Amino acid sequence: MISRRSMLRTGASLAAAATVGTPAISHAQTKTLKITTWGGKWGDIMKATVLPVFEKEFKCTVSADQAFPFMPKLQASAKNDPLYDVFHTNSNEQWSALTEGLVMDKFTTKEVPNVADVHPWSVSDKIVGVAIFTSAIGLGYRTDKGLTPPKSWKDLADPKLAGARGGYLIPVNSLGQCHLMMLGKVYGKGLQDLDAAYKALEQLKPIKLVDFTGQMEKMLLSGEVSEGVIHDSGVYRYEGQNQPVDFASPSEGVMALEQVLNVPPGSKVKELAYAYIDYMLRPDVQKLLAEGVWYSPANKKVKLDAKYDAKLLTRPEKVATLIQPDWKWYNARKDDIDARVTKILKG
Amino acid sequence: MSAAPKRRPFDAGSAAYLALNLLLVAFLLAPIAIVVVFALNPTPYISFPPVGVSLRWFQKFFAGSDFMNALALSLWVALCVLVLSVVIGGACALALARGRLPGRTFLTAFFMSPLMLPAILTGLALFQSYLLAGIGRPVWGLIMAHTLVAVPYVLRTTLAVLHNFDHRIEEAAAALGASPTRVFFEVTLPLIRPGVFAGGVFAFIVSFDQFPVSLFLVMPKNETLPVVLFNYMKFDLDGAIAAASMVSILLALSVVLALERLIGLKAYVKL
Amino acid sequence: MTSATIKLENVTKTFDGKVVAVDGVTLDIAAGEFFSLLGPSGCGKTTSLRMIAGFEMPDSGRVHVGGQDITDVPVHRRDMGMVFQSYALFPHRTVAQNVAFGLRMRDVPKADIERRVAAALAQVALTGLEDRRPSQLSGGQQQRVALARALVIEPRVLLCDEPLGALDRKLRQQMQFELKELQRRLGVTLVFVTHDQEEALAMSDRIAVMNHGKVEQVGAPTEIYERPRTRFVADFIGEINLLEEGGQGRALRPEKIRLVTPAEARVSGTIETANFLGGATLYRVQAGGRTWLARETHAGERSPRGPGDPVGLAWNDTDVVALDA
Ligand SMILES: Nc1ncnc2c1ncn2[C@@H]1O[C@H](COP(=O)(O)OP(=O)(O)OP(=O)(O)O)[C@@H](O)[C@H]1O
Ligand SMILES: [Mg+2]
Repeated sequence: MISRRSMLRTGASLAAAATVGTPAISHAQTKTLKITTWGGKWGDIMKATVLPVFEKEFKCTVSADQAFPFMPKLQASAKNDPLYDVFHTNSNEQWSALTEGLVMDKFTTKEVPNVADVHPWSVSDKIVGVAIFTSAIGLGYRTDKGLTPPKSWKDLADPKLAGARGGYLIPVNSLGQCHLMMLGKVYGKGLQDLDAAYKALEQLKPIKLVDFTGQMEKMLLSGEVSEGVIHDSGVYRYEGQNQPVDFASPSEGVMALEQVLNVPPGSKVKELAYAYIDYMLRPDVQKLLAEGVWYSPANKKVKLDAKYDAKLLTRPEKVATLIQPDWKWYNARKDDIDARVTKILKG
Repeated sequence: MSAAPKRRPFDAGSAAYLALNLLLVAFLLAPIAIVVVFALNPTPYISFPPVGVSLRWFQKFFAGSDFMNALALSLWVALCVLVLSVVIGGACALALARGRLPGRTFLTAFFMSPLMLPAILTGLALFQSYLLAGIGRPVWGLIMAHTLVAVPYVLRTTLAVLHNFDHRIEEAAAALGASPTRVFFEVTLPLIRPGVFAGGVFAFIVSFDQFPVSLFLVMPKNETLPVVLFNYMKFDLDGAIAAASMVSILLALSVVLALERLIGLKAYVKL
Repeated sequence: MTSATIKLENVTKTFDGKVVAVDGVTLDIAAGEFFSLLGPSGCGKTTSLRMIAGFEMPDSGRVHVGGQDITDVPVHRRDMGMVFQSYALFPHRTVAQNVAFGLRMRDVPKADIERRVAAALAQVALTGLEDRRPSQLSGGQQQRVALARALVIEPRVLLCDEPLGALDRKLRQQMQFELKELQRRLGVTLVFVTHDQEEALAMSDRIAVMNHGKVEQVGAPTEIYERPRTRFVADFIGEINLLEEGGQGRALRPEKIRLVTPAEARVSGTIETANFLGGATLYRVQAGGRTWLARETHAGERSPRGPGDPVGLAWNDTDVVALDA
């Protein structure tokens, strides 16, 4: 984890770079860009450095909404005057937003020049908008319980872990949904083999389930869970803090938890919105945020410090282990799946 | 038996009664106890038994400018809501109890209806109407929204006092030469005041702890404490949350105690 | 203390468009008079009183006090004392503050207020309880505070709605005596509402007996008792034997009937019950195909009659009262 001072230093160089960077869009003056963004450490970096630099460079003000839930607020506002100009959320929500016509579909280098430099997953057919970062969903485990580091998703079914394994509530958390799809792939014919997934889920009982994404790391830290589904950022953020936890990428692959940006079609400051997305894909911004919160950057040209480069998905062979779920497919059957898994896990 | 003061013999019934009461108290206080442990424990997760005592989460809470802004906003909003709902709720209650209004039961139900509606819907509906009206989401809009859900509390406690109110007392004052205005200030108001302020205390707490109604109505950089805490929790589930809860509880408690001192809610119990 | 006459002129009050509470009542109350409104529950006593006080507005008719038409004068300008059955003391004020209230409303100087409150409390024997709250007083004490509070403003008229109704019998009798004394001493016009005929008979200078919103008879207690004008009044006040002779109603008080030997009797029969009342015995006698009530006062030895004994009844024709149709 980078210290606050080094973060500010990077920010200062960012600002310096800004003065010689792309020319500011002149007609964006005094405009307000309304965006959604995460809180926590991410939000701190955004507010301390990333957004002020953007405001200065593009001579605008950014109003960043960090208060959930973003989606209903966007839904409730008028389509021709949406509450947000840039909609930052996870991929599954972007897909629901697309079906409701709340966001745009794809961006090209015409709107967002930096798209030219991104990894394929950032603009794949599994993505609506542009993914600017991803986390890898794999297995987190305690290093002080004499467990062999998990190599396969199947290792979570080890009977020794009964009652000490952890997962997410599938109806409310997309990590749980990813896990379910992965079970289909590992135990059946593929990500969409729900029958195999249900059967495998049955075998995981008893399992401790959490709803908030951040809860699993607390369960691991407190030792309530010895091994559980988690995203790499949730484990790596404790790096250097002497916590007996580590992250393992199972051999079958890791699931993608993408940070996606998109623009509601009714936005009155579309140019500025595109500029913001492009800015978020810039190598310096990507590096600052990637190292701040342990997200794997979308831009291929980003050079992370060795410590981060060793763990995040930067090199091609590691990027190749990333599996992107088909949220369009999943969202269409979500209700049935919810009902089914609730029944399975209740018994 | 003869010299000693008569004591009730200890029987199974009173033992069960005592046990039930202790159980209830424990049930009510247990969550607070957990919060206290979590707030004072230095680990960033709930660990039991606690590994030590530290004030680091309180420091984090008080040092966080987001937290402090939110706390200030929440207090300001809650105080405005207290004043507004006392005035509006008190006036409504008087009108409902005294004015010979047609459709009184309907009106009472109408004013109470914010309690029936899930608060999240109230928030969403107001959010949409504010957007539609083009007024955005100003702080006064948030105050109005909280007032809407707080008024029924004042209305209810005031109506309860008015229900037991002997109208003759006001007539006696009138007969003694008090004009309607003087009757109101000399007799009516002092007598309903405990009920109105008991409602006001509820209103304050309803606003201060309000989450669902605020959810849609807060503006970026202008978020109330419960909203900030909720969003904080999504990314950092550490003791700062517990410390914030402790501070909230203590603040709410001190407001209640201050009002009690100032106006004497005890009188309400006596009435 | 000045006192005033009260005049109700054909006053009518209807509630909710259907309940006729007071129906064309006309009353003339003299200054300084102790005047009772007596009648069964719901006959319109309270409503009549409340129209004098100004709490209710008559639908038609006028109210005069001291020769002035005050029908349209609001309550707080009428200068009347009012005592409620529930006392209606201000629970948030002390005894002294309760009594001082009317004086404060009249902007009486502070020193005068203190003096007059002390005097009023002395008048009702409550000196020393100035700083108590109403909730710390007994029923009788509260009653006296209500009285002091009403009287301290030296009203022209004192209106009392069943002021003794909440007291027990013993205290009630004592307060009847005290109230009567006080009224006589102050000379204030007092309108007294009660449904207790004994109370009305004992205290009043004159009584108006009301029934179904109408005044049936107005008169001094003896007149009301001895010469009831209607069947209702005769029946409502005390016990009575109602006789029917040729379509003409007549009434005979039980104490006017003598128990005699069958030889002297107008009718003969047998005793059904004998109720010992202390100073008298009330007999229920079956004779001539009906039941008679006869009261025998015990001047000397009690007559040893009991149920089943044969008995004769006799009376004087002058004691039989003819009633209006
Ligand atoms: N405010 C009111 N609204 C409707 N009806 C009323 C009201 N006040 C009195 N009444 C009705 O008017 C009639 C006379 O009532 P009033 O109170 O004058 O009787 P009362 O002689 O004082 O009886 P009580 O001895 O029971 O006090 C009753 O039928 C009563 O129900
Ligand atoms: Mg009455």
